[in-house]
Amino acid sequence: MQTTNAPDASVPDKNVPPQSRKKAMAQQPDSPEQSVPRLNVVHLAKTYGSGENAKTVIEDLTFSVEAGEVVCIVGPSGVGKTTLLKCLAGLHPVSSGSAAIDGRTISGPPPEMALVFQDYNRSLMPWLTVRKNLVLPLRHMRLPAAEVKERCDSALEAVGLTHAEHQYPWQLSGGMQQRVAIARALAYRPEILIMDEPFASVDAQTRFDLEDLCLKIRRDFNMTILVVTHDIDEAVYLADRVVVLGSKPARVLKVIDIDLPAPRDQITTRSLPDFAHQRTDVLSLIKRPA
Amino acid sequence: MNQSTKPMLLSAAGVAAALLVWQLMAVGKVAGEALPPVTTVFAALFTTLGTGAFWSSLGATVGISLLALALSAVAGVVLGILIGSFDPVRYATLAVLEFLKPVPPIVILPLAVLVFGPTQEMSLFLVAFGCLLPIVMQTVDGVHGTDPVARDTARSYGLKSPEILFRVVLPSAMPYIGTAMRVAAPAALVITVVAGLLGGGPGLGQSIYQAQSGGDYASLYALVIVLGVLGLIFQGATRAAERRALHWHQSFREVVH
Repeated sequence: MQTTNAPDASVPDKNVPPQSRKKAMAQQPDSPEQSVPRLNVVHLAKTYGSGENAKTVIEDLTFSVEAGEVVCIVGPSGVGKTTLLKCLAGLHPVSSGSAAIDGRTISGPPPEMALVFQDYNRSLMPWLTVRKNLVLPLRHMRLPAAEVKERCDSALEAVGLTHAEHQYPWQLSGGMQQRVAIARALAYRPEILIMDEPFASVDAQTRFDLEDLCLKIRRDFNMTILVVTHDIDEAVYLADRVVVLGSKPARVLKVIDIDLPAPRDQITTRSLPDFAHQRTDVLSLIKRPA
Repeated sequence: MNQSTKPMLLSAAGVAAALLVWQLMAVGKVAGEALPPVTTVFAALFTTLGTGAFWSSLGATVGISLLALALSAVAGVVLGILIGSFDPVRYATLAVLEFLKPVPPIVILPLAVLVFGPTQEMSLFLVAFGCLLPIVMQTVDGVHGTDPVARDTARSYGLKSPEILFRVVLPSAMPYIGTAMRVAAPAALVITVVAGLLGGGPGLGQSIYQAQSGGDYASLYALVIVLGVLGLIFQGATRAAERRALHWHQSFREVVH
């Protein structure tokens, strides 16, 4: 974890394909030499309203996510995790500080990022079939029809829903709907996948399956994944690093490296003594009066 | 007995009972000459159905209703999107729209007759006036009620405002617009008839007025029966169209799992 105090880290990654450098990112001057984290959040603050009614949701957040990492953000409910994700996704402007992808400041929805919401039944369009939901974000990219088809086919296959492509989301179970939302993100071919409490609205068994799907996506697509969750066990199971947030307003209490062996397994990983230690570390941070 | 035939049989029994009560009242001279027996009315109905004048009146009524309905649907949805998309516009127009909504079109009938005369345009104007506001209001509600999560999803995937409007906002407003259309369709028919009856516009309303002033009560009731049937057809057609367009919505879903 690099908790840099530099207000800006501004080196565009040379490995980023040119098509992902789009207008949502403000180009910044080159200053080579040092490597830049894929996602870098520096002194980010978010205040709603102004004057006497101003409400500071995020005080000062600094953390980074390296390419190919899974990072989980945990914290008590109402701490401002969703606000943070909306800032990272370019949906809300930040009040001060910055968030940058590969050194480029996020000022609008970044084309290399996809978002998976907790409420799959609100984020999937009920009037579109599963496949058409996947196609929706691809329309404005004006891809050749064959590529759209190929992207949807492989995304549906990755989440195991090829058979459901012509069904409507509401005809599927909750876990399947969230897999559709994940498939939609995969078809978009993002470099960074951001998930907001993605498995909070499904039953425990489905939750385990979806967690493993998340790890499989990281393996198969070499994706950088940022997951917000209130489930500490889930955070420790999924993450390479856990960012523990304290309230209120939100700030980073600690960043904990999770060195559990890969590949992780719901039964063996969760029964490791190290797993118990690390979840205790996280839990004691959250339980401790801040 | 089959699940679907039972309600139909009961409906038929209800209709038969109503006709029976009507016949008994007419034979018993409850309302004197003003209420002819069912049999006389149906005889008049068949005579009427054989005249060209009846069919052109019917055509005028249906034509005016549908044209005005289509005009107010297009104008109403466009206005509703404009008002619903911009909060300042919504607040500025809300009071005016709420004030105008309960005003029945018949109130402005004298004005319409004064401006347009007893014409087809007068009827069109009156029907559009009556149908437009409910469609505007419902569209505003639908646009305003679009789920912010659905909007955020679209925005996060890089969709721009016009695409979000057509692919997210408009489809989510469709259930509201559908409800407005289902209410507006029979209302359009009613207003067309009123415009003919009281304002002299073309169509069945005018025929009813003529039958009434000529004391031809049997023909008058025959026309009322035609109107009733027409109303059922309008209602059924809009309901079917709504069911088809909104098959994905909670109220029409066929649950499979």
